[in-house]
Amino acid sequence: MELTVLGVSFSLLLLIGVPVGFAVGLSSVATIIAAGLPVAVVFQKMVGGMQVFSFLAIPFFIFAGELMLHGGIAQRIVRFANSLVGHVRGGLGMSNVLGCTLFGGVAGSPLADVSAMGSVMIPLMKKEGYDTDYAVNVTTHASLVGALMPTSHNLILYTLATAGIASVSVLGMILACLIPAVLLTLLNLLAAYGVAVQRGYPTRGAFKGWGEVFNSFMAALPGLLIIAIILVGILSGVFTATESAATAVLWALLVTGLAYRSLSWKDFIASCAKACKTTGVVLFLIGISAAFGYFLAMYEVPQRTGDLMASFTQTPWMIFLSVNIILFLLGTFLDMAPTLLICTPIFLPICQKYGMDASQFGVMMLLNCALGLNTPPVGSTQFVGCAIGGISVGEVMRSIWPFYGALLACLMLVTYVPAFSLWLPHFVMFN
Amino acid sequence: TEFKSSDVHNSDDYPTVTAVKFMGEQLNKASGGKHSIKVFNKGALGTEKETIDQVKIGALDMTRVNISPMNSICAKTNIPVLPFLFRSVDHLHKVLDGPIGAEIAKDCEAQGFVLLAYYDSGSRSIYSKKPVKTVADTKGMKIRVQQSDLWVAVAGAMGANPTPMPAGEVLTALKTGLVDAAENNYPSYGSGFRHFEAAKYYNKTEHSMAPEVLLFSKLSWDKLPKAEQDMVRAAATASVDFNRKAWAAYEKKEFDMVKAAGSEIVEVDKKSFQDAMAPVYEKFAATPDMKRLVKAVQDTK
Amino acid sequence: MYTRLCATLSKLSLMLAVVGLIVLIACVQYQVIGRYVFNDTPTWAEALALLLVLYITSLGVAVGVRDAGHIGMDSIITLLPERLRLKLEIVIHVLVGAFGALMAYNGYVWAVLKWNDQKPMLPVPSGVDYVPLVIAGVLVVLFTIEHVIALVQGKEVVPAWN
Ligand code: NA
Ligand code: NA
Repeated sequence: MELTVLGVSFSLLLLIGVPVGFAVGLSSVATIIAAGLPVAVVFQKMVGGMQVFSFLAIPFFIFAGELMLHGGIAQRIVRFANSLVGHVRGGLGMSNVLGCTLFGGVAGSPLADVSAMGSVMIPLMKKEGYDTDYAVNVTTHASLVGALMPTSHNLILYTLATAGIASVSVLGMILACLIPAVLLTLLNLLAAYGVAVQRGYPTRGAFKGWGEVFNSFMAALPGLLIIAIILVGILSGVFTATESAATAVLWALLVTGLAYRSLSWKDFIASCAKACKTTGVVLFLIGISAAFGYFLAMYEVPQRTGDLMASFTQTPWMIFLSVNIILFLLGTFLDMAPTLLICTPIFLPICQKYGMDASQFGVMMLLNCALGLNTPPVGSTQFVGCAIGGISVGEVMRSIWPFYGALLACLMLVTYVPAFSLWLPHFVMFN
Repeated sequence: TEFKSSDVHNSDDYPTVTAVKFMGEQLNKASGGKHSIKVFNKGALGTEKETIDQVKIGALDMTRVNISPMNSICAKTNIPVLPFLFRSVDHLHKVLDGPIGAEIAKDCEAQGFVLLAYYDSGSRSIYSKKPVKTVADTKGMKIRVQQSDLWVAVAGAMGANPTPMPAGEVLTALKTGLVDAAENNYPSYGSGFRHFEAAKYYNKTEHSMAPEVLLFSKLSWDKLPKAEQDMVRAAATASVDFNRKAWAAYEKKEFDMVKAAGSEIVEVDKKSFQDAMAPVYEKFAATPDMKRLVKAVQDTK
Repeated sequence: MYTRLCATLSKLSLMLAVVGLIVLIACVQYQVIGRYVFNDTPTWAEALALLLVLYITSLGVAVGVRDAGHIGMDSIITLLPERLRLKLEIVIHVLVGAFGALMAYNGYVWAVLKWNDQKPMLPVPSGVDYVPLVIAGVLVVLFTIEHVIALVQGKEVVPAWN
C-alpha cells in the first residue's frame, strides 16, 4: 500500500512537471503519512543525505568546471586537438571529439563540456561546411566521456549511492572508469571518421607539423594538468578525494586567473554564483533521494525486484541485459543524478548477486545514464547541443546511430567483460 | 506488533544482528505470536546517529548502536567509553550487569530511550604500518579516529595527530599513506573493513571497550502494558548471553583470519598509555557525578 | 514591491552562498595544510565544512526555485493548450511551495529537538544542522508566491543575479 502511494504520487508529480527533487520530496511525505510515521523523518534523511564528507567533492568539481568554462580553457584545448587531427578527413569532427574528451576530463561534467566546447566548435564546423546534425552529435557524444573522468561529480555520486550495499572507494571508481573512457573515445573517433567518409566531407589543409602540436600542447597543458593533480594527489596519499577536488578549484583559479589571465573578476563572480545554484539543485536532489532510499529499504524493494526478475530468468547475462534495458528506459526521461541515486540501491544488489563487481556496475551505470543524456524525450546534453546548433532533436537523430553504436559497444563490453573496468584498479591498488 | 530494529553492520552473521533476531524469536514465543522483531541491518534505515533520533521521535521502535554516539545525549554513557578503564572483559560485564549499568540506562531513559541491553564489541586497538610497543611510538603518528571529541582527545593524549575521517575512506587512506594508523576491534580490522590489507601490525592497546547498546523508543514502550514490557525485557536479557557467546566465536574467527593473512599481533606496554590518559579524564569525567562513577567502576571486583 | 523584496532576498542568498563556498574551499585546503605542514589535523575543519555545505545547498535550492533552475520534465506541459498550461503551472508552484512550508516547519521541529545536543568537533548545538531547512523553506514559500502572482499577471520572474 505505501509503495503504491510512493510509485503513483512520484510518477504523477513528475508527469505534470514538478521538478524531480520536489517530486521525490512530496511523494516521500505522502508515503510516510500513509505509513503512519512522523513526517520529520523525511527531512532528517534529507539533511543526513547531504552531510557526507565525500559529497563536498561535488560542489568543488562543479565550481572548478564553471571556472574552466568561463576562463578560456576550451579554446586552448581546441587548438591542440586541431593541431593533431585537424588535417584528416572530417578532421574538425575528429578534433572536436578529442577536444571534448580532454575538456570533459578537465571539467568532469557532460553539460559543462557541451556548453563550453559546443559554443566554440559547432559554429566553427558549420562555417567549414559540415552538416549541423553531425557537428551536434560529435560534440554531445564526445562530451559524455566527461562523466567517466576523474573530475566527474556523477562518479562521486555513485560511490555514495552504494553506501550500505558495497564499499566502493572514490579512487577505485576513478581507476575503473579510465580504460572505458579511453575506449569510448576511440569508438567516438571511429564513428566521427565513419560518418565523415560516408558523407564525403573534404580534407582541410595539411598537418601543421609537430612544432604546432608541441606549442599548442604547452598552451593547453596547465588546464590539462588538473587530471594529473587529482590522480597523483590521491594515489600518493597527499589528498583524500574530497581534498583533491578542492585543490582542483585552486588550480583552476591559478590557471585561468594568473597563467592565462583569461578570467575576469566578473567571470569569477559569475562562476561562483552559478556553482552555488547548481550545487543547490544537485545536493538537494541527493539529500531528498536519501528519503526515497529509506522507503526502498523499509519496504524491501531491491529484494522484491530481484525476486521478480529471478522469476523470469536466472541467467546472469539475461539479468544484466534486463537491468541495462530498465536503466535505459528510465534514462530516456530522467537525468543522470536521479537515476544514479534511485536505481543504485535497487539494481546493485541484484547484479552483485549474479557476480558483478560494484565498481564494474558503477561504470555500466554511468555509461547507461550517459546514453540517456542524448536520448529524447529528455536529454539535457542533447538539448544544449541542439540549442547551440539551432536544430531540432528530430533532425539531430539522422546521424546519431554510429555514435549510439559506439556508446552501446562500450556499454556491452563493460557489462560483459569485467577486465575493462576492473583490471586497472586491481593493478594499481593491490601493488 | 512487528517492532522495527536498525543495525549498521553489513554482515547478516554479525553478533549484534543475530542477537536482536534471537531476541525477536524469544519475544515471539513468550507473547504467543503477538510481538516480533524485524531487523534492518546494513544501515538501511540510517546511520547510528539518525536511527537514535528516529527512536527518540517514535519513527522507529528499536535501534542497536555503539554507545559512543549517545555520549552527547546522555552524559553518563561516556563512562564505558573512557580509555583503559576496564581491566578485562569480565570486569566490563560485571559493571554493565550491575548497578552502574542500571544507572547509565536510567540516564538514557530520561532522554527518551529505554536501554534494554549492553552487547559486546570487544576491545579497540591501534593498527598501523609500523609496530607500536609503548606510547612513545605513537608520537606524531596520523591516527584515524571516529568523528567524536572523546576519540580525538584520546589520540591527542597519546601524542598522536588525531585525524577524523569517515569509516568508508579509511582503507584507501591507509593504503595511500594518508594516515599511518587507525583503531578498531578485530572484526572491523578483519572482514568488516578489511583494514588488515593495509596495516600489518595489530597492536593490542585495548584502549577502549565501548559496548554496543540496544535502545527501545520510550514512546513505543509506554504504549505497551507492563506485562508485555517485562516480556520484552526478558527477551533482551536472554539475547545478551546469546550475543556474548556469539561475539567470542566471531572475534576468534576474525582473529584467526587476520593471523592467517599475515597480520602481526603486537603486545603493548599498556601502563605507558594509561599514564598518558589523565587529560582525557579531566575533560570527560570532570563532574563529581562522573568521578564517583569512575571510582565505582574501578572498585568493582 | 513584492518582486523587489524577492529579488533582493534572492541576490542576498546567492551572495551568502558564494561567501560560504569560498570559506568551504579554504576550510578543506586548511585541513591539508594542517595535516602536512603542522602535523596537527584541524579536527573542526571537516565538521565546519559539512555544516557550510548545508547552508550553501539550502540557499542554492531557494534561488533555484526563483530562477526556475531545478531539473524537471516538461514534455507533457508543452502539449497542453495555453489556458490549461497556466493552471497546471500554478499547481506546480503551489506544490513546490507546500514542500517549502513542510521543510521550514520540520526543520524548526528538529532544530528545537536537537538544540541541547552538542555537535561533535564544533562548539555549537546539533540543532544548527536543521536551521538551513527553515531558511530555505521560508524562501521557497516566498519565491513560489512570487511566481504564482507573476503567472496570474502574465509576467515573468527575472533572475536577480546572473
Ligand atoms: Na564538473
Ligand atoms: Na534522456
